[in-house]
Amino acid sequence: MKISLISERLQKGVLFVNHAVSSRSQLPTLLNFLIEAREGKLVISATDLEIGITVEVPGKTEKDGAVTVPAKTFTEMAGTISSGKISLETTHEGLVLAGEKEKTIFQTTPADEFPRLYEEKGKQVMVLRRETMEKDFSRVVFAASPDSERPALSGVLIKEEKDGFLLVATDGYRLSLKNHALQDVRKMRPEEGVSMLVPARVIRELIQMGKDGGGEDIRVYAAKEKNQIIFIQNETTLVGRLIEAEFPNYEKIIPTDFSTKTVLEKDGLQKAIKAGYVFARQTAGIIKLSIEKSRVLVSANAPSVGKNLIEVGAKTMGEENEIAFNARYLLDFLANSTSEEISFEMTGPLNPGVFKETNDPSFMHLIMPIRVQESA
Amino acid sequence: MNEENKILWKKVLGEIETEVSRANFYTLFKSTGLLSLENGIASIAAPSTMIIDLLQKRYYDIIKKTVDKYTKLDTKIIFIPKVISKDLRENMGVAPLFAQAEKTEMQTIGHLPRVRADFTFQTLAVSSSNQLAYVSATTVAKKIGLAYNPLFIYGPVGVGKTHLMQAIANEVYKNNPDKKIIYTTSEEFTNEVVEAIRNNDTARMKRKFRNIDLLIVDDVQFFAGKDRAQEELFHTFNILIDGGAQIVLSSDRPPSEIKKLEKRLSSRFAGGLTVDIEAADFELLTAILLIKAKKYSLDLPIEVAKKIAEKAHDPRELEGLLLKIITVANNKGTEITPELAENTFNQRHEEEGGFFHPDDTIKNICSFYNIKETLIKGPKRDSGLVKARQVAMYILKNDLSLSFVEIGNILGGRDHTTIMHGVKKIERMLLNKKFSEEIMGIKSLLRNSDRTMRRWGN
Repeated sequence: MKISLISERLQKGVLFVNHAVSSRSQLPTLLNFLIEAREGKLVISATDLEIGITVEVPGKTEKDGAVTVPAKTFTEMAGTISSGKISLETTHEGLVLAGEKEKTIFQTTPADEFPRLYEEKGKQVMVLRRETMEKDFSRVVFAASPDSERPALSGVLIKEEKDGFLLVATDGYRLSLKNHALQDVRKMRPEEGVSMLVPARVIRELIQMGKDGGGEDIRVYAAKEKNQIIFIQNETTLVGRLIEAEFPNYEKIIPTDFSTKTVLEKDGLQKAIKAGYVFARQTAGIIKLSIEKSRVLVSANAPSVGKNLIEVGAKTMGEENEIAFNARYLLDFLANSTSEEISFEMTGPLNPGVFKETNDPSFMHLIMPIRVQESA
Repeated sequence: MNEENKILWKKVLGEIETEVSRANFYTLFKSTGLLSLENGIASIAAPSTMIIDLLQKRYYDIIKKTVDKYTKLDTKIIFIPKVISKDLRENMGVAPLFAQAEKTEMQTIGHLPRVRADFTFQTLAVSSSNQLAYVSATTVAKKIGLAYNPLFIYGPVGVGKTHLMQAIANEVYKNNPDKKIIYTTSEEFTNEVVEAIRNNDTARMKRKFRNIDLLIVDDVQFFAGKDRAQEELFHTFNILIDGGAQIVLSSDRPPSEIKKLEKRLSSRFAGGLTVDIEAADFELLTAILLIKAKKYSLDLPIEVAKKIAEKAHDPRELEGLLLKIITVANNKGTEITPELAENTFNQRHEEEGGFFHPDDTIKNICSFYNIKETLIKGPKRDSGLVKARQVAMYILKNDLSLSFVEIGNILGGRDHTTIMHGVKKIERMLLNKKFSEEIMGIKSLLRNSDRTMRRWGN
């Protein structure tokens, strides 16, 4: 193969493809990029057998060809290379990456060892607009479990409802739910309802892909019989598999009622919890919220280290109440929330607490409280 | 994946493991499974298309060879992208958010809170005495909020008001589990009102009761004199009716005869359909008994059913009598015959007292006369208190067959002569018809509460 291309474009492409490389993989070939020179472009692919990413970099191809190179070394090298025009060429020594002043030779392995990411794209389901996609998914995906041993909890459920899409994810301790999501989505097959459980990891990469790819729309292809989902934005393709497991019955656990509701500024609460986390970290992250009429007291107590108490102004309706949470979960929610003001509803110290955003009533986040012994 | 395939695949994998590298085996084969083996085609599940691609490319031959060896067939291998879930089902025990919901779900599965699942229209015996009420109830259950609103059912104790009302709840729930149904008694409703006022949280209670499709309130006569609860019910009533929700009420007398009930409420109660259920006649009692016998998978001879029905005062008693006769027959190892029934019931009278517990008896007498339990055992001698105390003495003596000394001890350590005097006094007063009715009332209260307690299992 022989191709010449622009250094920056290669760098950017390689960085994203690298996300699909698992350093833990036991199969040597999976530690590689598949690099193919085709007409007018260089195609770089990587997979860990769970997800796959392909990026096309435009270039001038003189000779088609395909090799695999060690992904880690190639990514690092591509990052250091000087800007401008570079060339890639296979020789008897290996793959030669040459810039104006530098020359790197990579060991290669035959390309046919490398798995194909997909056979067919499947049917195009819809087109996502980047902004809403990012805003909606990022408030939901963090609630999913990183543990793939429990498939249903490791995904984000995307379900079409009468009035838009529903996104929901839970790891069993917290749950994020967004109604009326993906407002400006364009459906390709209006007659077919969409309902799929997509691994959280794929969604995270999708958000990243959207960020890298500028404002372009993202096309979604799904092949249900193959349990495969593909997102394509310009030259970037993200391949994932759909989760077959049944999503837990989230409707059952959403409280319909509350006895305490308080409204407060997100920044203030976030600062207080970050401060409390200094101590909470020592005690499994336990942070206590005491909800009073015009304020919320955020307290953390690490017996061997110390304790702190921070007051956050709030407007409370209903009875005064106390509840304890894992600070990690609170911080995750606050970091991903897009609202300046949030509300918190609860019915008792043992029932899930519900966070809502003032600027978006269609979103909610549930967190299971921690049961704490009464102590001073 | 059936057992056979599982075992076969385990063997196949065991052999492949020795032939391929460890890395390959763990990454590619570990999460595969044999989905089916039919017509010489082995369908193998693997988690992703990438894995399938690698298996196809590199390991098709070895898989086929091994499968063929164990099946002694010339198989064709196809791959299907599918994650074989582990045998351990998704365990929500480690997902606390759902653990709680599962628990509450368990409680409500099959029936509604406070509603007995076996109280349905199917298990209700219908005769001329309750025909009209039955028809109205089924109509209401079919089109809630549209037919008769409110439906007011009244009749004496034990004629099946509660059964009918719970049957409405069960029917509506069966046809549409999403409907919000609340079944409550006037006492519980009153308690909620009191609780809400005490916690200064009436909004919560309002939300609970005003956002439903079907409200059933049993025994509304107990609202008498409870003004705040009446007011709350009045507003709830209006909002529900306006919103098209169905209301079903029951009482032991028609709305107009409930004393100390505000006019605006009683007129609203009567604003829909008011139907009465008459005391069950002999035929109905027999029919009910046959239905109940079926519940215990017992083929009850009609003669025996008649005998039992003769003995029973109201349908509630039937079940107790029936159970008793079943037990006796089981113990003696005999068939259930009319003679056995006759003999059993003749002994019944003496044993009846054994059903009551002195503490419950006193509790009930206190609640009847509306006085505190500590007072009846205390030293005070107000005339009302003395009367209640003497009634307690009389009932403990007559119905529970306790000795005068025992009764004295129970009632706060009184001398046995005091008890003797009290019992005698009540016996004299019984000549007064009004008073004897009062005593009968207390006794029936005792019987009912005893049953209620057994029914709810505490």
